[in-house]
Amino acid sequence: MTVTNRFSDEEKKLVISIHERFDFSLHQQFRDSYKDVTTKDLTFVLDLSQTEYMDSSALGMILLLKDHVQACAGQLLISKPSDTVRKILEIAQFQRLIKID
Amino acid sequence: MNKSQKLALVVDDSKMQCKLLAVLLEEENYRVVIANDGASGVQMYIDHQPDLVLMDINMPIMDGFEAARRIKKLSGIGTLAPLIFITSLDNDQTYIDSVEAGGDGILVRPFSPEVFKAKIKAMQRISDLVEQVKGLQQEQQKDAELAEKMMSNVIEARNFALDKIGVIKRAATIFSGDIHLSSQCPNGDIHILLGDFTGHGLRSSIGAIPVTETFRAMTKKGFSILEIIAQLNKQLYTLLPGDLFFAASFACISEHDKSAYIFNAGLPDGYLFNEKANIKNKLLSKHPPLGILPALLPDVQLEIIQVEHNDRLVFITDGIVEARNEAGEHFGFKRFEAAAAIGCLDNDIAAQVIKSLDEFCQHCEQEDDISLVDVPCNGWQKIKLSSKVTNLEEVNQGNNFLAVGENALPSWSYHLHLTDQLLKTVNPIPLVMNQINDLEGAGEHWQSLYTILTELFINSLDHGVLQLDSSLKDSAEGFSEYFNERANRLDKLAKNSINGPNKFIRILLNYFPLTHGGKMIINIKDSGQGFDVFEVIKNNKVSNNGDFRLSGRGVELVNQLCDTLEYQEQGTSVTASYIWHD
Repeated sequence: MTVTNRFSDEEKKLVISIHERFDFSLHQQFRDSYKDVTTKDLTFVLDLSQTEYMDSSALGMILLLKDHVQACAGQLLISKPSDTVRKILEIAQFQRLIKID
Repeated sequence: MNKSQKLALVVDDSKMQCKLLAVLLEEENYRVVIANDGASGVQMYIDHQPDLVLMDINMPIMDGFEAARRIKKLSGIGTLAPLIFITSLDNDQTYIDSVEAGGDGILVRPFSPEVFKAKIKAMQRISDLVEQVKGLQQEQQKDAELAEKMMSNVIEARNFALDKIGVIKRAATIFSGDIHLSSQCPNGDIHILLGDFTGHGLRSSIGAIPVTETFRAMTKKGFSILEIIAQLNKQLYTLLPGDLFFAASFACISEHDKSAYIFNAGLPDGYLFNEKANIKNKLLSKHPPLGILPALLPDVQLEIIQVEHNDRLVFITDGIVEARNEAGEHFGFKRFEAAAAIGCLDNDIAAQVIKSLDEFCQHCEQEDDISLVDVPCNGWQKIKLSSKVTNLEEVNQGNNFLAVGENALPSWSYHLHLTDQLLKTVNPIPLVMNQINDLEGAGEHWQSLYTILTELFINSLDHGVLQLDSSLKDSAEGFSEYFNERANRLDKLAKNSINGPNKFIRILLNYFPLTHGGKMIINIKDSGQGFDVFEVIKNNKVSNNGDFRLSGRGVELVNQLCDTLEYQEQGTSVTASYIWHD
């Protein structure tokens, strides 16, 4: 399983982790990882520390997640991208749309 | 005969067996043809193109395995006439051999009619699915070909100056989500776009047509590159679903200003190379791709770079730097820069980059679209001075023109008055040019008129209303400072925080038709404090010996294009008269 999710009720946090390649083949899995989580005021953390590569359709998938988070009045945080992935996020200037740490 | 009736081919050397199978098949509504050895079975297959083949194994002349192999070779990819071996040899090897020979199933005798019929049904189900997939595939192929044709014939073939721009365009699938456009502005500047829609194939192409239409139409009407980008973003935001967007780089190259105006929204770094193949500027992405945000970010600015005669501007999409070789390494920026530098000296960046990329990737499958544009920074200016009538008296004597007396009434006039924040948000030039086109039709001579209007309006706005000092533009650093300050003051103007009476610019056009042409009188009045007309003209005269100064060229150009150019009211009002032949 290259997409994993962990829900923590006390922390009010959903952590979605992507392993290896983040591309169009994960479309369905990625959507399934958050689509039923509609708790209000939740922090969605997209953990990209284990992601080696990301393509532009992955950027599109992140935008869909962002829409979902906004609809739930939650927060979205992209966590610990590797240098390669960070570069891709920066070229797309995603730091101006989403918080990245 | 029922056309929808399926056809089965039975190949068996036992006539008795053939008869038996034929009866069972007919009960399942098949028509049946029969062959009694492998070789004639193959021939019957060719002649009748059956929907189903039943094959015995041990036969004279050619056995069932060989016949099956030949038949499977004949039926191309995507067509499946299921082939079932019928045998009494009940062992593992027969089963393995029959699959190897291309059989889709095996039935071991003895079997009941029910088992036989069930097997046929199962086979039919599979072949129906294959048919369906084949149909869908063909449809998809047709769509992709249409999109491909549209893209190359309709969209990109209509690009401006294709011979001067180096292009790499290699699609990963038949249709590429990458798009490059070039178009000429009315004043001779050139607009360039290289863009990449998310994803591949037809899905990524839906935005291509609106982008192309908007880019061309707005460029032609004289909108600035930033106005075009804002409009494209708005359009794509409404048009595209949430996960589709358009990463693109834009440039407006102005030979007259010796500058390029750049906007990179989500593409890898662009480059400005000089003739010695040194990288003069890297043009970094400064904005998220278009179609994500409902409007451009408020602090958005064009990057202004100075360009020399032999500089080249290069944009690429991520497919080039992310192309991988067999070992999984990326081609990367270093290899790209090295190849582009060699190409720069050879005067063919595209060819050199492709060569280097092919050597690197060998025969690895291309995963993403690969695109590059290489645009020279010179040779674009094409303002025709020939349409200008230099000596009005001569013209009047030659009776080519109706005399336009001092008191003659214009056949139409147009008046536009812009105040305060509208000076920031409205670009009046396309509005004015639209009026002229509507009333008088499109004409090549409008190019000069457009230049005159643009230069005079910008002078009134920059120096009259905003009171910017044009001497700032004398140095490259000052040039960007000038544009930053200009943006600041426009913001203040929009917020109405500049003290004093309302700021305005008034544009007045009077048109007089002549028998073989026309005359346009343009008057622009601004609310500024004016300037010492004589001093400025004197300074320009001095500095125009030798090197062109970076500022003041606007007025000089207008002066060349007009019959008369006069400043009145301490430089707050300017009147230009422009005459043309048809």
